[in-house]
Amino acid sequence: MSELLKLDHIQKYYGNEGAITRAINDISFSVKQGKFLGIMGASGSGKTTLLNCISTIDTFSAGRIYLDGADVTKIKPKALARFRRENLGFIFQDFNLLDTLTISENIALALTINKVPVGKIDQQVQNIAETLNITAILNKYPYQVSGGQKQRCACARAIINKPKLILADEPTGALDSHSSQMLLSTMQSINEQLGATILMVTHDAFSASYANRILFLKDGEIFTEIHKGSNTRKAFFEKILDVLTMMGGGQTDVC
Amino acid sequence: MYAKLIFRNAKRSAKDYLVYIITMTLCVMLFYAFLSISSSNYQPDIGSEYNVTMLGAGMKAAICGVTLLLLFLIRYVNSYMLRRKQREFAVQSVMGMEQKTIGWLFFAETFVMGAVAIVIGIFLGVICSQFITAMLLSSYGQDYKLSWMLFPDTVLLTICFFALSLFVVGLFNVRTIRKIKIIDMLYADKQNEPHFKKSRYMPVIAVLFNVILAWMVFEGVVKKHFYFDVRFAFPVHIMFWGNIIIPAFGILWSLIWLVRHKKWGFDKFVIGQCLITILNACFLASIPQIQGKYYVALGAGNLNQYLIFILADLIFLICGIIYLASSLLVAWKEKSLAHKYQGQNLFFFGQIISKLQTTTKTMTLICLTLVLSIFLFIAAPALTGWASGYLDIRSMYDVQISTRYNDVYDEADLPRDNYELVTEFLEEHNIETSFDRLVNLYLPNKADFHNRVKLDFPVVAMSLSDYNALREMLGMEQISLKKNEFTTQWQSIATEDERTEFLSGITTVSTDAGDLVLAETGYYDEPIGETVYNDYTDVVYIFPDSICKKLLSVMKNRYIITAEPVSYDDTKDLEAEFNSVYPESAEGVHYYMRTHTQQVNSTKAEMFVLKASMTYGAVVLMVICLTILALQQLLDATHYRYRFGVLRKLGVKENEIDRLVLKQLAVWFGLPIAVAILISLVVIFYFFQMIAVQISAYLGFSALMAQVGTIVGILILLLLCYFISTWILFKQSISGN
Repeated sequence: MSELLKLDHIQKYYGNEGAITRAINDISFSVKQGKFLGIMGASGSGKTTLLNCISTIDTFSAGRIYLDGADVTKIKPKALARFRRENLGFIFQDFNLLDTLTISENIALALTINKVPVGKIDQQVQNIAETLNITAILNKYPYQVSGGQKQRCACARAIINKPKLILADEPTGALDSHSSQMLLSTMQSINEQLGATILMVTHDAFSASYANRILFLKDGEIFTEIHKGSNTRKAFFEKILDVLTMMGGGQTDVC
Repeated sequence: MYAKLIFRNAKRSAKDYLVYIITMTLCVMLFYAFLSISSSNYQPDIGSEYNVTMLGAGMKAAICGVTLLLLFLIRYVNSYMLRRKQREFAVQSVMGMEQKTIGWLFFAETFVMGAVAIVIGIFLGVICSQFITAMLLSSYGQDYKLSWMLFPDTVLLTICFFALSLFVVGLFNVRTIRKIKIIDMLYADKQNEPHFKKSRYMPVIAVLFNVILAWMVFEGVVKKHFYFDVRFAFPVHIMFWGNIIIPAFGILWSLIWLVRHKKWGFDKFVIGQCLITILNACFLASIPQIQGKYYVALGAGNLNQYLIFILADLIFLICGIIYLASSLLVAWKEKSLAHKYQGQNLFFFGQIISKLQTTTKTMTLICLTLVLSIFLFIAAPALTGWASGYLDIRSMYDVQISTRYNDVYDEADLPRDNYELVTEFLEEHNIETSFDRLVNLYLPNKADFHNRVKLDFPVVAMSLSDYNALREMLGMEQISLKKNEFTTQWQSIATEDERTEFLSGITTVSTDAGDLVLAETGYYDEPIGETVYNDYTDVVYIFPDSICKKLLSVMKNRYIITAEPVSYDDTKDLEAEFNSVYPESAEGVHYYMRTHTQQVNSTKAEMFVLKASMTYGAVVLMVICLTILALQQLLDATHYRYRFGVLRKLGVKENEIDRLVLKQLAVWFGLPIAVAILISLVVIFYFFQMIAVQISAYLGFSALMAQVGTIVGILILLLLCYFISTWILFKQSISGN
């Protein structure tokens, strides 16, 4: 499997001389195509900053990020929007759906932005809705559906353009446990059946157990990383809890 | 501590308050500028023959009346600020501050900002009042001169008015803040667009409109019963029948819909009713033209009544169009997939439709107000032009004495006086005269003396020498007649058709002194004043002197032109003296004296008050509409920032977002303005047709069009200013940084 994402000595500093905060301190790792990577850490560990850097929404102070071999830092600001459009899909904690559009229109928006031929749009929306089991709510507005349904809609919007990398920032953060479970199963099946590469930031051990590799961040550095390997999800979950305990303060996350 | 907090808050949130300050400043500026000319300290150099105090009272009343509208805007901009700052209030509440205290803090903040706005507004008002002075001076025919316009009484009145307004509105705000729940304040900016439910105002309007339709049908039937004649031309038939059938069809359509409403939906009803309304408005608008062309009598005041019908029609049409706008957009979007999915259209439609659906009522009100404003803007020059043109014709002589014999029943009682008292008065006051002429008006046939039927009132005659004397006074060429010839002199408001019809009927006139034939030049229509005509007639015969000597003189007028303008006080005394000698009486000869100075004074003052208050009203309404349109967009900046943020995250380029913003604002401003312009055009067209005769007689269409053109230019400029500033502020508020 080829290497899709590579981070090379990424550093991100805030502040000025004398009072420098190191949000990310020399992080390097790579992700192979078709993998489901989780990034875990306590609040302030730098996980969301890292995600923002990868997604080109934020800039970083030093280092390089390669996506499918292309150096992200070398993309001109004007071409960044296009790069995001063609290569990345986003799932956010607060869904980021437009309340003025129906669920199907929200999904179609991603296609129209990518200039997909008009005739194909409705069919593609229908297909993805069937995959994610949201056909029944396609003509409803976001305020008429549940949080879980909203997030599945956001998920559909993120994957409909078949991006190289799907970035999820605390996708279950605003969901109840049942909806979380359903969404994570959906993401897992997207990963396994459609072969999508997913990078998910979370501080929830249960969510993280759906990934097949987890990076633990602490104070802007990689504390450790674990692989699911041939473990069952339950065993992997236990393993995650162990690491969190080891990192200190992890117990509170488990409760 | 709280004082510190207030000032620090005010300073810190100056940017938030920008919209508030600008709106308040505009209000104060307009108020001060227009009110300053009614100040007792205002002494413009308009000449000794004019008296500016006549302006004061009328102006003050008009300005204060129109300014009540500004209170609405002040209230609106306050609620805008309230919504903007709700989150801040929430944090303060959570920290433990009492909501009452928060309310008073906000009250003080807005008061501080209001005070700043009042100071800036008065300063700008002083500058702006120069324009009003220029308008005033040009009304009085003087050249513009810079004048000092900072008057203590106006400043005091302005401060009192706005301080009171701020106080009252502030109290409302305190009450509102005390009543909001903390949780609602906390999530105020996270609230979604209210659910897309249409309000019930449209069905209410539909019911009211049906009542008016019933009134139209009733009036149509009454008019047909009393005024219709089968001999009328075909278009008149259509007009009479149309005025009954079309409104009746409107009612029928409502009834049909009521039966089938479960199947058809309310939108379908509104579409049908709007189409009927358009047809009805066309018919109503054609009435003045058909009436003028075919001489159809419809009873007094009928045109005003039809104007009310047209207005009702148009108001319904505006409500209908705005109500349907979002439904039509949705229908179009669903039908045309190519448009729906083209570029960022999906997002764009979402923005517009959601906003339209939640603000239908406001949009409709804005549209109606805009129509009123545009109408006032355009009608002001037409009405004042009419008044000033008429003034020129009425006051052609410095002193004119006229008589009426309507209530004289005995020939012996007819006027025989030479008005010597005027001669004495002028001599006493050392007023030299350039021209002075006693003019007799005769009845061609003595038998007509007792004819007092309004429609058959006799045309009087003037001797050639008197006529030539008047022509000389007014700087016109002399005319001549042969012994047995006559000619005619016409009023300006008489139409060419009327004249042709009159002259084709009479080539000879039989008088008590023999028959006369029409001269080669059968008519003259240069204005020579309106007192030379008999009541209810627009023409006077000009007979040779030899003939007139043998006729019965029924009226005796005197026309004087002085060497220098007579001062305001002298004319007042002269008129008083004249009225004491020739008092008003119910029977006998009626004597009238008009002096140029008095007439010009009162008419110019009235005209100026009319023009200034109409312009002020129009500007205030326009400013209210445009400010609300702008605020509506800026108010939702947080929603928009979020929505455009989503677009950015989805990979839409900045320049495309810019284009979307421009498109959204263009539609937002464009829709009400386009509808308002369309509707105003119909109203103005009807209005100009109603007063077409007066416009062509006193003002001229080209002069009117030039004035209308200037106003349209100013309006476009005003609109552009608002549009561009909203655009800049909007872009700032949604920018990612």
